[in-house]
Amino acid sequence: MENLLTVEKLNVVYGKGKDCVHAVKDVTFHIKPGEIFGLVGESGCGKSSLGKAIIRLNVPTSGSMVFKGDDVSLLSGRELKEYRQEVQMVFQDPYGSLYPRMKVGSAIMDVLEVHRIGENTSERHARVAELFEAVGLEPDWAWRYPHEFSGGQRQRICIARALALNPELLVADEPVSALDVSVQAEILELLEDLRTQRQLAFLFVSHDLAVVRNICDRVAVMYNGEIVEMGDVVDVIDNPQHEYTRTLLAAVPAF
Amino acid sequence: MPVEKGQSLWSDAWRRLKKNRLAMLCLGLVVLFTLLAVYGEIVYQYHHAKDITPSYQMTNLDVAYEAPSTRHWMGTDGLGRDVMARLVQGVRIAYKVGIITSLIAIPIGVILGCLAGFFGGRVDDFIVWLYSTFASMPGLLFILAIAMVVPDNGLLGVYLGIGLTTWVGLCRLVRGEVLKHKEQNYVQAAKALGIGSGRIMFKHILPNILHVVIVTFTLRFPAAVGTEVIMSYLGIGVQGEPSWGLMIDSARMRLWQGMWWEMTFVTLALFLLVLAFNLLGDALRDALDPRLND
Repeated sequence: MENLLTVEKLNVVYGKGKDCVHAVKDVTFHIKPGEIFGLVGESGCGKSSLGKAIIRLNVPTSGSMVFKGDDVSLLSGRELKEYRQEVQMVFQDPYGSLYPRMKVGSAIMDVLEVHRIGENTSERHARVAELFEAVGLEPDWAWRYPHEFSGGQRQRICIARALALNPELLVADEPVSALDVSVQAEILELLEDLRTQRQLAFLFVSHDLAVVRNICDRVAVMYNGEIVEMGDVVDVIDNPQHEYTRTLLAAVPAF
Repeated sequence: MPVEKGQSLWSDAWRRLKKNRLAMLCLGLVVLFTLLAVYGEIVYQYHHAKDITPSYQMTNLDVAYEAPSTRHWMGTDGLGRDVMARLVQGVRIAYKVGIITSLIAIPIGVILGCLAGFFGGRVDDFIVWLYSTFASMPGLLFILAIAMVVPDNGLLGVYLGIGLTTWVGLCRLVRGEVLKHKEQNYVQAAKALGIGSGRIMFKHILPNILHVVIVTFTLRFPAAVGTEVIMSYLGIGVQGEPSWGLMIDSARMRLWQGMWWEMTFVTLALFLLVLAFNLLGDALRDALDPRLND
């Protein structure tokens, strides 16, 4: 199967000169359609920077990112907007990533309007209801404010908003680490369902190896900005080759 | 399950404001002054449209310097004009100055502040340089200089002079707030969703910092009124219309002869207006600050 996203020798550097921080160093990997690709590592290892570069909240310093045959590493303006219909992001903090003054449904309507999805308001309303159902929420709840929802519900809303554009790849940056364990399981189940129903691919950024092993197909271990080990999730976690991966696994009591 | 229906920031603020008696009193005064201003404008427009001289402009030396009585509640001035009628016209002019200068200064402050905070880099450098330059000039002198070069040496000079110089404080505040909000997740999420910079700035960030703008308005309004009074008093402000500054100027000549009423009522009105707006502004700032939750 052809790759959905191919990243080659990608670098992200913050700042210039002496004080620069080399957050992502020569990273190469690919994601296939409908695949859940895990990215693990400790905090500060560059995994979030890589995730943000892929959604293009960061501009990569060098290297290439080919999405469905087009290099997207330097897109801007209109083309970038189009690219963002295909790749979306779910953030770690479901409390902060919803706009506090807007009803959650209006926030999704806003996105639909900006991307000119749906002919008129009533069509967009219907689409919002559909999205809410897709993530397991009551469609009526769309007309409430973010603070009226629990953390897990908000994360579902964030997922619904990301799905509004019908993306093929979802960058999930620690999507469950701010949630209770029982809620985590529900959200992970939702992500699995979305993968099977919509052939959605994920870049699943996490520091939680148990979660990664549970949900991912393949995984890359990042250390100090570099990918030190990559492969099928079972191989990497049950039979780690790199020293750092072993240390990481040793730090988790369950393994 | 969703938690119980919460209150929006505004209804919450209103609830807190209602508890503050002093603030409600000030709000009452502000409403009263506003009604007087509207009434003054109607009287002014009526006479203007019919092209007749209104009573507050009519000279009648027979009744000059009459003390307050039932006929003239606040007495008459040196030309026999009713002080109360002129005072009401003064409210009209004060409001015009307060509102029009705000309409000039607030958009400049908000737009420049948003641009500087949101885009950063060179845009920010330029705007910070610009407002630092404006801030470094002595305020009143700068206003007088602008008013002097405006050809029509009347209200227009006052509007432009005050309007073009008093946006700096607001611009700084807005820039700081936008800088704070820009890094928040909801803005990052909006960017990732492909929403444009303009829409993020004005539809997402601005409503979150609108309380800053409202508080600034209530605090700069009386300042603008005071400045207009000073300008008119100095003779480069309003001319030919009963501004409070002109009234104070003419009243001071006769004060030592015991004609206290004009000076007293005008300064009292000015005092009350400034006090009411300032106290209300303070109360609003507290009420709109979610961190001071009861």
